[in-house]
Amino acid sequence: MMKTAVLLPSSAPFAADQIDALNGVIGAASAEQRAWLSGFLAGLQAANDSRAAAPPAAPPAKRVPLTILFGTESGNAEALANQARKAASKLGFAPKVQDMADFTPAQAAGVENLLIVAATWGEGDPPQRAQDFYESLMANGAPRFEKTRYAVLALGDRAYAQFCEIGRRIDERLAALGGARIADRIECDVDYETPAQGWIDQTLQRLGAEAGAAGDTSVIHVDFVRSGSEAEADQPTRARPFAAEIIEHVRLSGSRSTSDTYHVGVSLEGSGITYEPGDALGVVPRNDPALVDAILDTAGQGGDAALRETLTQRLDITTLTAPQAETFARLTGTEVPPADWLAGRQVIDLLERAPGKLSTEQLTALLRPLTPRYYSIASSRKAVGEEAHLLVGAVRYRSHDRDRSGVASVDITERSRAGGHLHVFLRPNPHFRLPAEPDRKVIMVGPGTGLAPFRGFLQEREATGAQGANWLLFGHRNYTHDFLYQLEIQDWVKSGLLSRLDVAFSRDQPEKRYVQHALWDARRDLYAWLKDGASLYVCGDANAMARDVHAALLRVLADQGNQDEDAAKAELDAIRRDGRYLRDVY
Amino acid sequence: MDMERPLSANERIKEKSRFLRGTIADGLTRVDTGALADDDTQLTKFHGFYMQDDRDLRAERGRQRMEKAFSYMVRMRVPAGIVSPQQWLGIEKLALERGNRTIRLTTRETVQFHGVLKSNLTPLMRGLAAMSLDTIAACGDVNRNVIATTDPSRGGLHEAVATLARDISGHLLPRTRAWHEIWLGQERIAGGVIEEEPILGRTYLPRKFKIGIAIPPRNDVDVFAQDLGFIAVVERGRIVGYNVAAGGGMGMTHGEPETYPRNADVIGYCDADDVIAVAEAVVTVQRDFGDRSNRKHARLKYTIDTLGLDRFVTLVNDRLTHRLGPPRPFTFESTGDRPGWAEDEDGRSHVTLFIENGRIHDLPHRKMMTGLHRIAELDVGRFIMTPNQNIIIADIPPASRPMVEALLAEHGLDDAQSGLRRNAMACVALPTCGLALAESERYLPALITRLEQELDRFGLAQEDITLRMTGCPNGCARPYISEIGIVGRGPGLYNLYLGGAHEGTRLNKLYRRDVDDDGIVAALSPLFAAFAEARKRNERFGDFVIRTGHVAATVTGLDFHENLASDLRS
Ligand code: SRM
Ligand SMILES: Cc1cc2nc3c(=O)[nH]c(=O)nc-3n(C[C@H](O)[C@H](O)[C@H](O)COP(=O)(O)OP(=O)(O)OC[C@H]3O[C@@H](n4cnc5c(N)ncnc54)[C@H](O)[C@@H]3O)c2cc1C
Ligand SMILES: Cc1cc2nc3c(=O)[nH]c(=O)nc-3n(C[C@H](O)[C@H](O)[C@H](O)COP(=O)(O)O)c2cc1C
Ligand code: SF4
Repeated sequence: MMKTAVLLPSSAPFAADQIDALNGVIGAASAEQRAWLSGFLAGLQAANDSRAAAPPAAPPAKRVPLTILFGTESGNAEALANQARKAASKLGFAPKVQDMADFTPAQAAGVENLLIVAATWGEGDPPQRAQDFYESLMANGAPRFEKTRYAVLALGDRAYAQFCEIGRRIDERLAALGGARIADRIECDVDYETPAQGWIDQTLQRLGAEAGAAGDTSVIHVDFVRSGSEAEADQPTRARPFAAEIIEHVRLSGSRSTSDTYHVGVSLEGSGITYEPGDALGVVPRNDPALVDAILDTAGQGGDAALRETLTQRLDITTLTAPQAETFARLTGTEVPPADWLAGRQVIDLLERAPGKLSTEQLTALLRPLTPRYYSIASSRKAVGEEAHLLVGAVRYRSHDRDRSGVASVDITERSRAGGHLHVFLRPNPHFRLPAEPDRKVIMVGPGTGLAPFRGFLQEREATGAQGANWLLFGHRNYTHDFLYQLEIQDWVKSGLLSRLDVAFSRDQPEKRYVQHALWDARRDLYAWLKDGASLYVCGDANAMARDVHAALLRVLADQGNQDEDAAKAELDAIRRDGRYLRDVY
Repeated sequence: MDMERPLSANERIKEKSRFLRGTIADGLTRVDTGALADDDTQLTKFHGFYMQDDRDLRAERGRQRMEKAFSYMVRMRVPAGIVSPQQWLGIEKLALERGNRTIRLTTRETVQFHGVLKSNLTPLMRGLAAMSLDTIAACGDVNRNVIATTDPSRGGLHEAVATLARDISGHLLPRTRAWHEIWLGQERIAGGVIEEEPILGRTYLPRKFKIGIAIPPRNDVDVFAQDLGFIAVVERGRIVGYNVAAGGGMGMTHGEPETYPRNADVIGYCDADDVIAVAEAVVTVQRDFGDRSNRKHARLKYTIDTLGLDRFVTLVNDRLTHRLGPPRPFTFESTGDRPGWAEDEDGRSHVTLFIENGRIHDLPHRKMMTGLHRIAELDVGRFIMTPNQNIIIADIPPASRPMVEALLAEHGLDDAQSGLRRNAMACVALPTCGLALAESERYLPALITRLEQELDRFGLAQEDITLRMTGCPNGCARPYISEIGIVGRGPGLYNLYLGGAHEGTRLNKLYRRDVDDDGIVAALSPLFAAFAEARKRNERFGDFVIRTGHVAATVTGLDFHENLASDLRS
């Protein structure tokens, strides 16, 4: 990794010898060390009086243009891109944030300073809206990036085999296309905040210095205090969630249902959270006390209150990753389990390979931080005021002879009651909004809990008296036991708010029927609506459903527009670029 | 009929239904609800099905923000109850795929599917049509499924009444094409031929109408419980004609003595060739004189008691070319089935299988569904559904009998039943029946087990005693014409009726009011004891309780509520 001697400018609020000392340390530090340090300082500052007056920024002579390009599905990358923009402008850059969705490699190649934040989805796939950019970047005809300085922040989750795949590929591709990598790529796991923030600050300085060295004399005023994401300090965050009282806790699934879905209403009063339909709430869950005990037992810990508390509230005691398996093997002097052993297994299974072998420190170090889960908000403030409604399906399954329970969904549905609290923060989703035009037609495909945001949409359109026609496609297993919010939906049909409703229940007849079949059956109208400028929304299961619906849409476009596959794909892409094919899938 | 009184709501619905179409087709396209429009739910009966909701789930539904758990009960029309093995397999498939995975044999020789979702109605109807089966007029204000004695061991005679049942059913069937249009998607006849219902009339009958045909000495069809009954008169091995009985019916309403079960009157005799004409005459008299204002007073039995029997018979005769002759003598011996094997002169075997309350599904010890499936796969003989909710596998060639016997044994379908159980019936009641006041089908088996212990103590384990239970006074299992009748009054509470004739010629009488499970056993046990002790030779339980003065005999329906014991302890 290349180093630059000068990091802190003489204008830094330190004595000269302090500046030298710091430069010595920081200059020699690895990316991780710097990341840690910056996170530490940011944290330290947040911890101390955040009202500490920061020294005024001396306006730089000439601002260095910087493009921060992000590829996101669920918004993390975008959030980081915006943090980077704030930090950058404070450092004297002239930053602008770009979504890969509306950017081309050709445009990117024209950029001098490029910061990329890219998430990985599916099984190593690019976020849906970044697909075009990614594909043409990887394609043969991709432009050269000779004049571009760049660095890549990759977002991912070690629980997935192709960890940070997309970030890595973009990084390598840009280098191959002649781009100048000015900082090593950082690959962030689910606990990305601190390292990402550190990497951003440090990379920006490097970039600033490079840009400077490249003949541009802007003085960079460094302001550790104000860098970082404290702009929303008053807003609840995943680090500081809001304890929202549960005011409604109702099981919607019938007693004979094969699923277990709840309507959960929380009060946001006093939280400062103002959401829009389409946004999600992050929920910081508590682990299953029974599993905590099991983990402690197996790990051979008496489990004092403090440790138990940490395992319940702070650490992920279920998800199992390959690095963890290796560490565990090393600590316990056991075999590293083969990669395929991990499939369907969790931390508890790993501990059982060598029970009673871990010290408290080893155990807590082995576990990853407990991450929040997201739930689409199923209401509109215009209809419910200071409340937010969630539609939560309990995740339960059996694997390797063990009953497994989803951490958050079961915490919310089974271990929570009205009167209790959920720890929440807002996870805006600006890319999943009702059309700006109130009279635009809307098609909503939301099977299962995918119905959630559309309940919010419909409440919103009812409250605002939007005239656009609304078409809902809902699906589940059994009509009799799984028709979520049926009575409300009936009212909307009666009132005309829903001008069309289609349902697909998979287990009511010998042949399986899903929303994609309902779409196909309705293909003529579907095509007419799309031609009529309708916006099409899809929410719910990312793996099977979203894929099958996408395929069904292509078939409908091919069939109704009597055109071949490529033409159909082109038409759907056009609709997507037009912002009329939006997905919120998980 | 009295023109002052307004027509009942149903009459208006029928009137504006455009020959039973209503808005059913439209309702089928509404996916936001599992229900159909109220008026349409009256019309769907004519198409053979009822809208119901699972009453076990009512309490929870509101909380779950879901409507009632609506589903449909679909009833087939199978005159004489005969289907082929192939048709049986098809019926089973439909029950598994479109219903609640059970087949329910009814007291009228047919099948009911339960728990059919609105979205599955059309596939179900089409599935039946594909096997040339249908549900037309299985319910509604029409002539219902025509039933006939199921006695294949009397080959020629059975064939004759079965054919007659089909002919009557066909002759009295509604002429509207509504069923074919709605369910099979058949086009409305071009130019929309003005439809007519020459026999039933544009508003159909005032109420349901039921016809049964019996071959003495067997009265399995309970011929005296039918609106119209035909009793075969056999000479030299063939049926020469029929005694005609009219005005039978069971239904009544608690606390409304003007409603009552009634035993049909034998009004004369007709030649075999005139049966259809007689049926049409009686039906049209009911059509023209039946009460269309008050549905609780609309059955033929009330029409007859309002007109007077003689006036009624005259009206019928006026519509006949050959007037009814004087009745011929006849004797009945039983109303029940004879579980087990029977063989006829040509060596074909017939086996009557006991199906408790007609509910066919696999139990751990009795795999009825699978057993019948395997037998049907042999593709021999015919399946005959009896009026006692049982099923007969008929016409089994000698070669196949061992195979059938093996399958019966393998699936526990041949185990012997006590005299009480094999002569017992319960109606459906909860959870599907919207009119049920108390449990019936789900409760009777346990009650019988308790009563069996009592009977055992007095050595009556194999005594044939008819016992019938219903969850409300409508009388779907014909409880008022059995030796022991148990009729629901409210959750866990029943009225106990005694003294019906074993052969179904005399109604019973109220013996105890509002008794629970223990109360029923406590009331019957001493009577069983006395019966074992003091019965005359071959005396039936139903006759014994009258002779020994426990209840008075009911003579006509009109005295059903009279002569009650002073001490109706409850
Ligand atoms: C399935 C069956 C009982 C059984 O366990 O087998 C049955 C079941 C019902 N009967 Fe019945 N009746 C059944 C034979 C009878 C009989 C016996 C007979 O026909 O030999 C009677 C007494 C004879 C008579 O008609 O008087 C009978 C008298 C009634 C009545 C009272 C009619 C009356 O005029 O008093 C009703 C209620 C009504 O019609 O208003 C009724 C109504 C019903 C309904 C449809 C309830 C309703 O109207 O909502 C029941 C459906 C319950 C369910 O969930 O399946 N059912 N019903 C029988 C089907 C026969 C068939 O295949 O067509
Ligand atoms: C933007 C967004 C919006 C969302 N909106 C909603 C919503 O409105 N309603 C809702 O209910 N959920 C929603 N989710 C999903 C939700 O966030 C959680 O992922 C879900 O509740 C599961 O979390 P958990 O903690 O209960 O389960 P976890 O403890 O996270 O367990 C889930 C994991 O278990 C494993 N697993 C699950 N099933 C099986 C199986 N059958 N076999 C083997 N392994 C299995 C998988 O690895 C899976 O990732 C949303 C997700 C996102 C990203
Ligand atoms: C359905 C799904 C699939 C994912 N697949 C991968 C993957 O294959 N590799 C990976 O490293 N991360 C994967 N992730 C984790 C995301 O990349 C991670 O949550 C990231 O923070 C999302 O960033 P975004 O909000 O900007 O889309 C997946 C997440 C989800 C919900
Ligand atoms: S007797 Fe009453 S409870 Fe039983 S099925 Fe008939 S209507 Fe229902």
